[in-house]
Amino acid sequence: MRTLVFIPAWNEEGSLPAVIAGVRESLPEANLLVIDDGSTDATAAQAREAGALVASLPFNQGLGAALQTGYLHALREGYDFCAHLDADGQHPPAEVARLLEEVYEDRADLVIGSRYRDPGPVESDDYKPTLSRRIGTGVFRFFLTLATRQRFTDTTSGMRAANRRVMALFSERYSPDFAEIESLQLAVREGLRVEEVPVRMLERAGGTSFLTPVRSAFFIFKGMIVLLVGQFRPREAKAER
Amino acid sequence: MSLTSLAAAQAPQVHLTSQTRIIAAVLAIAFMVLILDLIRRDRLQERYSVVWFVAGLGMLIGAAFPGLLELVADAMGVRDTNVALFSIVLLLLLGLALNFSVIMSRQAAQITRLAQERALEKAREQARSGENGSESERQRLES
Repeated sequence: MRTLVFIPAWNEEGSLPAVIAGVRESLPEANLLVIDDGSTDATAAQAREAGALVASLPFNQGLGAALQTGYLHALREGYDFCAHLDADGQHPPAEVARLLEEVYEDRADLVIGSRYRDPGPVESDDYKPTLSRRIGTGVFRFFLTLATRQRFTDTTSGMRAANRRVMALFSERYSPDFAEIESLQLAVREGLRVEEVPVRMLERAGGTSFLTPVRSAFFIFKGMIVLLVGQFRPREAKAER
Repeated sequence: MSLTSLAAAQAPQVHLTSQTRIIAAVLAIAFMVLILDLIRRDRLQERYSVVWFVAGLGMLIGAAFPGLLELVADAMGVRDTNVALFSIVLLLLLGLALNFSVIMSRQAAQITRLAQERALEKAREQARSGENGSESERQRLES
């Protein structure tokens, strides 16, 4: 049984080495792939120095394309399971191990780490969402739940674990610029079992969120259109289950 | 400007004068020559040139048989031929622009896949060449 953990990284030289070290410690069995999404800083060099395999996209392609690269690699290299987490240090690698446990046990095809589901007592370095983030989360939660008839709390979570069924689907069809939400809708529509697991997330260790209020509004608007269109996409209906 | 010419300009049916017809025909021919020249110099691929060639031909036909345009305007229920002409051209351009967006999207997807393939190929190369290196790295970490 082989597991690939991949980390999409775009100019994350500040936080990436610690994340790699954390994954090594929490998931010693897993192979590690860093997808460098056209970084202009030392991200790729640092990942290589830390001993990770690096797939460097020649130019910035967006998070969706970077994640798809990881799924493609996992599928082609014959990995049984894969997981990914953000490079900014928000995702504790120990929590990724818990997500993987769910797919190992075949309780789901795709497992999402949710920072909002059944939150425990808040600790000082825990993740605290900003107001615009909370509004966006609420809107997406509502519409994705409406579209999939399944309860989702953390629709944009970048901490996920998956099996080969998901790899096959996502390596072929993964929206390049609205990856997180559309992929959940797609997976549910294709009849895959998607499950959320409550996880702890931390405040980011490096870099800044790309969300400003105007961008957030645009992001939300785009997301709603994407979800609406997604409802009318043709089903592939080849998920062999 | 005299009152009579003003009245003429406001008349519902504006007939093309032979002067404008000649200008339109010359422009249409020049346009098609330009398309041919772009193909000849490899600046335009044949498969994207057909639509422009058809547009040039349309211009030429319109200049040669202005009666055709009035026929079309009548069929559309538009009294002013100019309005009919403008709406037809506008719709065609809209369709063309959309067509380009579709082509652009397809090519963007192809570029993304190409970038991914190249990135993964590089990673496999690293895995092959660095097999010993990463092994010693592991041992160094474990010791």
